Amino acid sequence: MEMLKRYRFWLLALGVTLVLPLTMRSGTLATEVLVYAMAVMACNLLLGYTGLLSFGQGIFFGLGSYGLGIALTRLALPLPLALVLAIVLGAAAAALVGWFAIRQRGTYFVMLTLAFAQMFYFLAYTTPDLTGGDNGLLDIPRPPVSLFGTELGSLAGPWQFYGFVAVLFLLVFFLVLRVTESVFGRTLLAIRNNEERAQAVGYNVRYFKLMAFVLSGAITGLAGALHAMLMGIAPLTNIDYHTSEMILIMTVIGGTGNAFASVLGAAFYVLLSDWLSTLWPRWLMLLGFLLIAVSLFIPRGLWGLGEMLWRKMGREPAKPIGQEEQA
Amino acid sequence: MNVYLLQVVNGVGIGMLYFLLAVGLSIIFGLLRFVNFAHGAFYALGAYLCFQALQLGLNFWVALAAAPLLVGAFAWLTEKVMLRHVYALPHEFHILVTVGLAMVAQELIITSWGPLGVNVAPPESLQGVVMWGSFVYPKYRLFVIGFTALLAVGLWWLLEGTRLGSAVRAGSESTEMVSLLGINIFRLFSLMFALGAATAAIAGVLAAPIRGAEPFMGVEALGVAFVVVVVGGLGSFTGALVGGVLVGVVQSLMSTLWPEGAWLMIYVAMAAVLLLRPHGLLGRG
Repeated sequence: MEMLKRYRFWLLALGVTLVLPLTMRSGTLATEVLVYAMAVMACNLLLGYTGLLSFGQGIFFGLGSYGLGIALTRLALPLPLALVLAIVLGAAAAALVGWFAIRQRGTYFVMLTLAFAQMFYFLAYTTPDLTGGDNGLLDIPRPPVSLFGTELGSLAGPWQFYGFVAVLFLLVFFLVLRVTESVFGRTLLAIRNNEERAQAVGYNVRYFKLMAFVLSGAITGLAGALHAMLMGIAPLTNIDYHTSEMILIMTVIGGTGNAFASVLGAAFYVLLSDWLSTLWPRWLMLLGFLLIAVSLFIPRGLWGLGEMLWRKMGREPAKPIGQEEQA
Repeated sequence: MNVYLLQVVNGVGIGMLYFLLAVGLSIIFGLLRFVNFAHGAFYALGAYLCFQALQLGLNFWVALAAAPLLVGAFAWLTEKVMLRHVYALPHEFHILVTVGLAMVAQELIITSWGPLGVNVAPPESLQGVVMWGSFVYPKYRLFVIGFTALLAVGLWWLLEGTRLGSAVRAGSESTEMVSLLGINIFRLFSLMFALGAATAAIAGVLAAPIRGAEPFMGVEALGVAFVVVVVGGLGSFTGALVGGVLVGVVQSLMSTLWPEGAWLMIYVAMAAVLLLRPHGLLGRG
């Protein structure tokens, strides 16, 4: 029982990767859930753990897509190197944007991340030789996974690719969980809860924020790369404002402060929008209302709502991460 | 005629529109540290109301008077019904609620006027060009520069020369102190919120004959408004003016030198200003 409690989030994530193929017909949609779940966890690392609301997640997502696309189609790099390139690009862009934006706080910071998101969008738009401009990078392949020349498995089929993404998703989930439970993660929480106090105690707040930003950028870059492989293209929309907005909305709907909430948020958004978009082309309006409602009435998101219901049913609540830190 | 001079004049015109767009955002921020991510939607609504008025057979001047009133009233109502309940929450929720509002507004625009852009003709009396020796310039753009300059003077007078303006300026120094002096800061805020939305709508109406109206212009405008206040300094009237004109001129000059990169360069200019002056050209640290 103790083991079960200790690894509950990890088990929940594993459960999701197993339930998705059993319940869904479309492997592409299931993969999309996991890809966005990674990007949302990265966003949550900033919003939930560091108190940084970033409108720039689309930058890292888009750069990941372009990085992988260029590596596979132009440079003909092997897949692992292409993924590493995407991760490094995401991290480097995050370091650059973070270096500018983290000097400012609060709303000013948020405005800067949005301005930089626009900047990278126009950068991608004005360099069609690299990015394909309006058309995006086309015909991105899914090369088979190989190790030292021996082929381990093909990624051509939707469920084969799902398996590959699921393994990476579980790795990222594990990493995020480890980070948030480490001293580093606790320091981030201290910064979120009371920045002045953390500074007074002697932490270099800017450095910790920047590190969180870089980690978030790296993970988002990986998600962007996998998205490009999933769709076979790296479109301009992957780097625009709406991608940033979408990742942020998923994060808020799922709930901040716990990695599994992000998986919930991504699954909810991807599946709901897939369903709504068949009913009504203007479904984004409903999502706008949903975002307002969640912000006003359930600020801790779906996970927080679930927790509240659980408590109402008279059981012991799962102790939310971060709660014990609040004075 | 010197093409660069022409582009500088063009840039001043566009920059004055950017100023109108950003000044409301800046004042609202100064008062309650509230950033309205739906501000671009007010601008887009202004442009579409102009289009709608012309469709109904009304003239441009009616649109110029009616659009800010309608958008201002809509903003005032939104503030009363919704935003009022958000102020007590942390700033993330201000942003998220207004982002949701902007999404709703954008989709409403698409349902009402379609997903494609529409063109708006300038009023008949302002079509054609003015000739001044070798200087040839479109009448409408000259009108925009003159009209926005008048508005800027009017706004400046409102902020610097009236009791209301002193309350607003004092409110951005210390909200608590102004409340203690018996001024209802919330009423002041709803008034300024409506005024900010109305100026954004005027910018939208004026911009419509120059660049048309399209559903996603709100997001673009929001990005530009942020650049303007970051460059000029947040919460400052003169900052918004200087930032707006600077951004307009950079964009306009770049559209001659490197047309594809004109939009990119205003963001590069922003980064450059941030490097040299982290609080903007006229901002206080």
